[in-house]
Amino acid sequence: MSPMWRAAALGRLGTMTSTTFQHSPTQPVVSMRRVSKIYGEGTGRVAALDEIDVDIHRGGFTAIMGPSGSGKSTFMNVAAGLDDVTSGEVMLAGQPVTHLGDDARTLLRRSEVGFIFQAFNLVPTLSAHENILLPFELAGRRVSAEEGRWIEHLVGTLGLAERISHRPSELSGGQQQRVAIARALASRPAIIFADEPTGNLDSRSSREVLTLLRTAAREYGQTIAMVSHDPVAASYADRILVIADGHLVGDHGPLTPQEISDLLIGFEVGAA
Amino acid sequence: MTGPNRNLTLGSLRELGTVGLVAGLCGAYAAVLIMTSSILTTMSEASGGSVGLLLGIVAGVFILIALYVGTVVIVGAVDTVISGRLRHIALLRLLGSRGRELRTSVMRSTAAVGGMGAVAGIVLGTLLTHLVRMVLVARDTLPEAEYALGDVQLVVAFVAITLSAMIAGWFGSRGILRVSPAAALAGTAAYTPAPHRTSVIRALLAGIGIVGGLAVLLLGAVVGESNPGAGFLLAFVGAAGSGTGFLIGARFVIPRVVATLSSVLGRDPSSVVARRNALLDPLRTTRSTMGLVIGVALVTTFASGMSALRESITSWELDPAQRAQADQVYEVTTIILICIIVISAIIAAVGFVSTMSLTVIQRHREIGLLRSLGFTRRQVRSMITKESVALSASAVVFGAVLGIVYGTAGAQSLVGAETAGLVWGMPVGALVGIAVAGVVLVLVSSQRPARRAVAVSPVEALRIDA
Ligand SMILES: Nc1ncnc2c1ncn2[C@@H]1O[C@H](COP(=O)(O)OP(=O)(O)OP(=O)(O)O)[C@@H](O)[C@H]1O
Ligand SMILES: [Mg+2]
Repeated sequence: MSPMWRAAALGRLGTMTSTTFQHSPTQPVVSMRRVSKIYGEGTGRVAALDEIDVDIHRGGFTAIMGPSGSGKSTFMNVAAGLDDVTSGEVMLAGQPVTHLGDDARTLLRRSEVGFIFQAFNLVPTLSAHENILLPFELAGRRVSAEEGRWIEHLVGTLGLAERISHRPSELSGGQQQRVAIARALASRPAIIFADEPTGNLDSRSSREVLTLLRTAAREYGQTIAMVSHDPVAASYADRILVIADGHLVGDHGPLTPQEISDLLIGFEVGAA
Repeated sequence: MTGPNRNLTLGSLRELGTVGLVAGLCGAYAAVLIMTSSILTTMSEASGGSVGLLLGIVAGVFILIALYVGTVVIVGAVDTVISGRLRHIALLRLLGSRGRELRTSVMRSTAAVGGMGAVAGIVLGTLLTHLVRMVLVARDTLPEAEYALGDVQLVVAFVAITLSAMIAGWFGSRGILRVSPAAALAGTAAYTPAPHRTSVIRALLAGIGIVGGLAVLLLGAVVGESNPGAGFLLAFVGAAGSGTGFLIGARFVIPRVVATLSSVLGRDPSSVVARRNALLDPLRTTRSTMGLVIGVALVTTFASGMSALRESITSWELDPAQRAQADQVYEVTTIILICIIVISAIIAAVGFVSTMSLTVIQRHREIGLLRSLGFTRRQVRSMITKESVALSASAVVFGAVLGIVYGTAGAQSLVGAETAGLVWGMPVGALVGIAVAGVVLVLVSSQRPARRAVAVSPVEALRIDA
């Protein structure tokens, strides 16, 4: 199956609308106001995020880039309500994350956020299929016929059909990554956070995965925020945020891989 | 390369704490029994009897049982530590360590820690016994005599415990051989059991032992109706045969029991994950529960046998004075026997608690992932508790059932001839006690791990090098 065909298959499903996204479509999915995250004190003080102001709008595919240690993962953790901020406000899917207790935040993540981590994405005791269905199980809701078809398509598109009943330990790193991608897309959360989602993939599968993410964003408005070091991966996004030293130093529209490389070289030289 | 390797293979001494604790319990227990029998020997020599010798033999049997359970627990503890460090060990293998060398170093560590625990336990047990002896002498319950302060058998116990810890280290570290150096480079950080070869011979032996043994046990109970001597002999042979069968085949039997009983937990995600973790590795499931099964089975066997005997005494025609005396003898014997036998259950419980703690520490990354995907703290807590329930309830129920069968059959074979019908041994009091102890065990074994699990930050799962 060629990537083009897969994209077409996804396109046909694009007419389905997200059921979980509650608040007004014009409001940003993530909105950060003067957000700081400080680790340590005194001489050991690190401002992983320093007074960040940013909005991520619905249906966008945003790439977050920057040198190592610049604060990208921290940005993601804070935006997803996984980590506390030191100061500032974060709104996620219309909810003031920074004012919510742990349980409310957990329920918010459960229903509105999908995750794709760089490594260790899957619950080891559950099969690939059970991992994909976990968000539904946690929400205590049945998979509708329409959602069932959607999941089947995702599984087929991601080339997982034959591995669906395997445990994570029986899957390759790339296959595990794709199961995580299927899980994140399956329940159509308000936003998907992906930290280096193509880090474990060869260039062909990585192209297919990126195409899938871009199609999901374009065709049915799936909001995606992706951390990546790879200029090729970032070139699939329609917005590129650059973080350096905890500051937001760049906010660009779609760029070519070459343009992105040039952009980053400037910062890496600057950072060193 | 033994020095650094030991730490690299087994991690902190804390992870070996169970080994020391179990060896210490075995040591204290052995010392109490040995010194008690030594004191009783001195006493009976003073009054011209031979109670002490008999007690010495009985004590030997009980110490061996405790040692066996202790060894099983240490094997389980070492295996748990090792399986949590598979990647680490894989890296050592990749860098050129040989599996044999790593296992030898594990064996040395468990022997050293076990030996230290044994010494501490033996000293403590000896002191305790002498303390009780002094109190009893002061109260004139025991006669004044030249009581020996120690006994050569204490040295034998030390050697036996240290050897057991060493052997347990060797068996517990078998996991090292299944680690391929390539695993250091693989992506899954989670514990994944290597497939075990199922030995046909083992299954066959276990089957013969269990089926044949139970048949002989039944025969003993039937024969006991007419011939108590032959009946009891048959029942003993049957119990020994089926008991050995269960020990050999524990890895086939126990995971099935856990699977069956844990299916009542429910179908929500926390139950499903709890059940899967309890059953992840049949060998680990077996090791963490086998000690409990043995301990509970022993306690129930004695309690059930004694209650059956007592029931039959009630049906005898005795005058009130004789009856009162018979009742008292059985009361006291039951309590002493249960106190002596309960140690194996305690050792097993200690091992179980530490296994639960360790597996939760090892799974902190998985727990972080579950939290980030939407498990609430309460769900994580209930997941840990359910896993503990699945394992300990299965062990307790299975052990109690075995114990009732053995105790009843034994009593029936012994006094069936003098009593009408089957003598049922339903030790209600002991069963209630076991159930309460089971609940306490679940609480103790899951409280701390659950608190630790709840404290895991979801961000942990995101870190690549956690
Ligand atoms: N738990 C922590 N304690 C102290 N400092 C931390 C902690 N987590 C992150 N930091 C610091 O915060 C800064 C940002 O870290 P972060 O993980 O967000 O970087 P990153 O951009 O994701 O880097 P990479 O591309 O290497 O993943 C770094 O300087 C890091 O050392
Ligand atoms: Mg990062």
